[in-house]
Amino acid sequence: MRYALRKVGLFALTLWAAVTLNFLLPRMMPGSPADAAIARLSQNGPVTDETRAAVEAQLGVPDGNILQQYLAYLDQVIHLDFGISYAFYPEPVSGLVATALPYTIVLVGTVTVIAFILGTLLGVLAAWRRGTWLDALPTVGGSFMNTFPYFWTSLLLLFFLGYVAHLFPTFGAYSATAVPGISWDFFVDILYHAALPAVTLLITSLGGWIIGMRNAMINTLGEDYVTFAEANGIGGRTVALRYAARNAILPNLTGFGLALGGVVGGSILVEQVFGYPGIGFLLFNAVIGQDYPLMQALFLMITVSVLVANLLVDILYGVLDPRTRR
Amino acid sequence: MTSNHPAQQAGPSGAGPSDVGPPEADPSDVEEILSLQDVSVVYEPVGAAPTHAVRGVSAQIARGEFVGLVGESGSGKSTLGFAITGLATAPARIEKGRILFRGRDIASMDQDSLRSQRQGGFAMVLQSGMNALNPVRTIRKHFHDIFAAHRHVPRARREERAAELVGKVSLGPEVLDLYPDQLSGGMRQRVTIALALSLEPQLMVFDEPTTALDVMVQHAVMDTIRDLQASEGFTAILISHDLGIVLESAQRVLVMHDGEIVEDAASADILHRPRHEYTRMLLSHYADPRAEVVTLPGLEDRAVLRSDDPSDASAENPASSSPEPADPSAEPPDPSAARSAPAAPAAPPAPAASSDGASSRRAPVSRLRSGGTELRLQGVSKVYPAARRSGRAVRAVDDVSFTLEPGGATALVGQSGSGKSTIAKLITGIERPSEGTVHLGDTSVGDLGRSGLRDLRRTVQMVFQDPYAALNPLNTVEYTLARAVMNLTDVRRDGARRRVRELLETVGLTPVEQFTGKLPHQLSGGQRQRVVIARALACDPQVIIADEPVSMLDVSLRAGVLSLLRDLRESIGVSLLYITHDLLSARLITDRILVLHDGKVVESGPTARVMRAPQDDYTISLLDAIPNPRRVLTP
Amino acid sequence: MSENTTRASSPSPVGHRPHPAVEALRGGLRAIWGNRKARIGMILLALFILVALLAPLLAPYAPKDNSFDRNLGASAQHWLGTTAAGEDVLSQLIHGARISVIVGFGAGSISTLIAVLIGLTWGYITGFAADVVNFVVNLFLVIPGLPLMIVIATYLQNGGISVIIAVIAITGWAWGARVLRSQTSTLRNRDFVQSAKFSGERAPRIIFREILPNMTSIIAGGFFGSATAAILAEAGLEFLGLGDSSIVSWGTMLYWAQNSNALLTGQWALLFAPGLCIALLATSLTLINFGVDGISNPRLREGSTGR
Repeated sequence: MRYALRKVGLFALTLWAAVTLNFLLPRMMPGSPADAAIARLSQNGPVTDETRAAVEAQLGVPDGNILQQYLAYLDQVIHLDFGISYAFYPEPVSGLVATALPYTIVLVGTVTVIAFILGTLLGVLAAWRRGTWLDALPTVGGSFMNTFPYFWTSLLLLFFLGYVAHLFPTFGAYSATAVPGISWDFFVDILYHAALPAVTLLITSLGGWIIGMRNAMINTLGEDYVTFAEANGIGGRTVALRYAARNAILPNLTGFGLALGGVVGGSILVEQVFGYPGIGFLLFNAVIGQDYPLMQALFLMITVSVLVANLLVDILYGVLDPRTRR
Repeated sequence: MTSNHPAQQAGPSGAGPSDVGPPEADPSDVEEILSLQDVSVVYEPVGAAPTHAVRGVSAQIARGEFVGLVGESGSGKSTLGFAITGLATAPARIEKGRILFRGRDIASMDQDSLRSQRQGGFAMVLQSGMNALNPVRTIRKHFHDIFAAHRHVPRARREERAAELVGKVSLGPEVLDLYPDQLSGGMRQRVTIALALSLEPQLMVFDEPTTALDVMVQHAVMDTIRDLQASEGFTAILISHDLGIVLESAQRVLVMHDGEIVEDAASADILHRPRHEYTRMLLSHYADPRAEVVTLPGLEDRAVLRSDDPSDASAENPASSSPEPADPSAEPPDPSAARSAPAAPAAPPAPAASSDGASSRRAPVSRLRSGGTELRLQGVSKVYPAARRSGRAVRAVDDVSFTLEPGGATALVGQSGSGKSTIAKLITGIERPSEGTVHLGDTSVGDLGRSGLRDLRRTVQMVFQDPYAALNPLNTVEYTLARAVMNLTDVRRDGARRRVRELLETVGLTPVEQFTGKLPHQLSGGQRQRVVIARALACDPQVIIADEPVSMLDVSLRAGVLSLLRDLRESIGVSLLYITHDLLSARLITDRILVLHDGKVVESGPTARVMRAPQDDYTISLLDAIPNPRRVLTP
Repeated sequence: MSENTTRASSPSPVGHRPHPAVEALRGGLRAIWGNRKARIGMILLALFILVALLAPLLAPYAPKDNSFDRNLGASAQHWLGTTAAGEDVLSQLIHGARISVIVGFGAGSISTLIAVLIGLTWGYITGFAADVVNFVVNLFLVIPGLPLMIVIATYLQNGGISVIIAVIAITGWAWGARVLRSQTSTLRNRDFVQSAKFSGERAPRIIFREILPNMTSIIAGGFFGSATAAILAEAGLEFLGLGDSSIVSWGTMLYWAQNSNALLTGQWALLFAPGLCIALLATSLTLINFGVDGISNPRLREGSTGR
């Protein structure tokens, strides 16, 4: 319990720091992002004083009172009010983010869970059958695939399976002709569109889990409790899973945060190639359109999502390691 | 093959067959449970030269026997233990020979039949029992895993059987609900014994079962092992570096050296009539600290009964009071001789033969100080604030007062957690006392700032426990010493170089040229510890604190380092605070002793008097916990 | 080792002969070479570096020479065809190696340097300061790297390759710092560190002269790891058009390929080759790390089954 409380406290502190970093970033940059943003905004029509104040609270004015700006910014964040997008004028930023977020969370979330489970199993197998092809293939193959640039894998799959073989759709999250709603057809259509982006993420992130788990398990296989379990004649499967793998999974979970950040980053590139309307695609459009408010809001949302996922993993860790319960 | 029968194998069968072999049966009737026939084990690490750890070992173990397998580090004893229990895995490989367990060869068995042999066959208790339990499984699950693997206990009986087994090792059934990290080291080792026992083995191999434990816990665990062997009737092989422990428990001892069994004889014969030179050497390093006169090779008795004044050189009376030759190559020394035959005619002690290869020639140092600095602790306590988890403040040191005279030698004795290392930290300024004062002459150590502490290093130096860890593996001996010289003294360049040489000579590492360029891994353990001592001497300190300086060394190397420490004290006049759990070494090199328990001094006084006539219960139980083969093996 | 002994009588007390750390390094290289995977990695890496160095000699044309027909398929003149702007793909590919190698080594070195400075200091200090550093490093660890890079790079529009290197280094040091920190705090409790304190050494010297050389393999592993990450991140940023799109790199090649609809014109070589080069370069570093890991952790050595 104490462990969970400490993790939640740390989460809150980290969240605050991330929010503050998001506030500081544009203010630390050379030039004035706020002026650039207002100039960009004025292309869409006259800029009201209200809008100007909102933009400045978000992106900073060179001579303003930094504390007041900070408080105004915090107020905005708490109300999830990130202003108006320029790239998608006059859509409010929060609405755009809310539309895109589910796509990415479902895509990245599902793929990460599958990759973690699959990679962990393959890693266990590789370590247990060390020196055989069951080790060599996933290890070398995994580390090779791990170095594929996300966008390159996307481009290749898109090119060969989309454009050449016409097996998969080449753009979007659902067909232009599909009727969004809760129906079996729409669900299948969504899956069909998500397949290639998901496979890309899976191919590229799987190797990391395999190698991480393999190395961790090779370490635990050298531990005394594994030798002692074997000395007691406990069966291979039990030793491999309940003794070696069960302990090896703990350090691997700790690496989750880093890996997750990587997959989220990868998803930006993947979504861009497939035109998949998630956070990444939106961020790409915000970058192209120099839509600073949208960019800031997206960065914040991405960070918060990763933080929440990390908190969940930390709590899972607490469940899996009895030593944290005391 | 027939010639390998235990009776013949047991060495001095010609000398006295009547007291050889297991006492309960006539040797010729005894059924062999294990037979080693010309077993060799080789280590073949990838990219390195293979090492032959066990070389052509043959031995027979009879059913019900308690056999000790003794040897120093690198002797191959653990490798042999792993081979016997079918646990030899790459890079170790059984090169040749047969390991017959009840007539079946373990060496050629496949994993599955090996696994089935483990129930009702052979079991092993590992050296580091601390880590032998899976940290994420409760003790109950450990038992159930074994029951499930062999199905030798019906499901309904399993819970009851687990409780029964932990009961056998004097633990209550409540430990079944706990995780390994909730148990103390001794309890964990007991649990591993109970787990091994749950296999109902006929043969149990104990690989250094008590090495990581405190003396008193060690004693209690060994008692449990002995009782279990008697009650359960399994055959036991006890692997240990400590001949004392082995002699106390085993009926027969195999002495291993460089991968070979050099002696195989009944315990009483090993003790009284050792035949091999190596066995004699090992034995010569045992003595009873309670004896009137205590001697090790190269370390004459301090005869401190008469010398509370250590500066009195005449207190050293090696010739008149040493009852036996210190030369291991002469007549086999008997540790009991000191007590049983104090009036034996004295022979002049042989010159100190440092067995770690370092020359024992000392540099002619004659800088005996007249007025040194006194170290004085007054009412010192150290309280550590409550840790995040346990939530209870720890009083590591509680109201300790003592004075270390210039040139004096005081032992600080206690188990781990007794506060002895904390006292060292307080004296060296690493920690500050919560109450009381530590004075070095007029300086209050607790009040020193950063630069004051640096100055303190010129006066107080430290010799560390583990010579393998105390030297940076990437620095040469010369670099290590020269840095200390240049940091702590004003000597530079040629002067520093000369000083380094002088230091090496002082600690007996000669010819100096052979040692200056060496890296730590090119030196033996004893040589390393000499470098550590030389480093401590770099700035002519007044006080040396030696924290368990020999506990990590093989017994045969200990005496050399101990005699060096003692000689330094006498030749240079440095005062010595000797921190240890080992009463024998304390007896040999110190004049005064403080026995610490739970942070408090429970007894203090002249070392010999405290050892010979202890007053406090704790001191008595510490002394009783020292393995004493005499108790069971008096002829 | 024997020459060590014979030369021990050399006049310097501190030693000007090859430092033991240098010898350890030599031994380390031998050990890496002994690992089959690492050996392949080293050969592959050497090949890429050679191509990068000799790019002007190897490339058939200038990388920006756009005097050729556009969107050509593979032919004898243009083995990999031409781009939509009429440049030779093979020449671009060969020149592109330079950027990736520079970014890999540049950003890898800088972030390793930051990781070493922060990780070692952090591992050595204790108390509140260590807690603060812990928090900051964890923050950098959990904040997703690529989005942060994208945001910073967007603000610093068109800063060129040095800005890219800086951005990657700033966002990429945290993991290495954490690994080095845990190793440092293990080593700092070793007696030889205490012993150095008793020899009168000061903290910076203990950290960087006593502790650091004992972590060479871990630092090397960290370097290859962050170089890999840097190469991939640079390519990603270039691909999004956030770098300097006027330079020729594997990332910009793919950027232009996508923007000029190479997917539709069917020039698979233009899509395939740059990405494969990125993957192979990154793989070479990963493979080398298999050997480096074996030095830091004997259990991971090839051939030792550990069981």
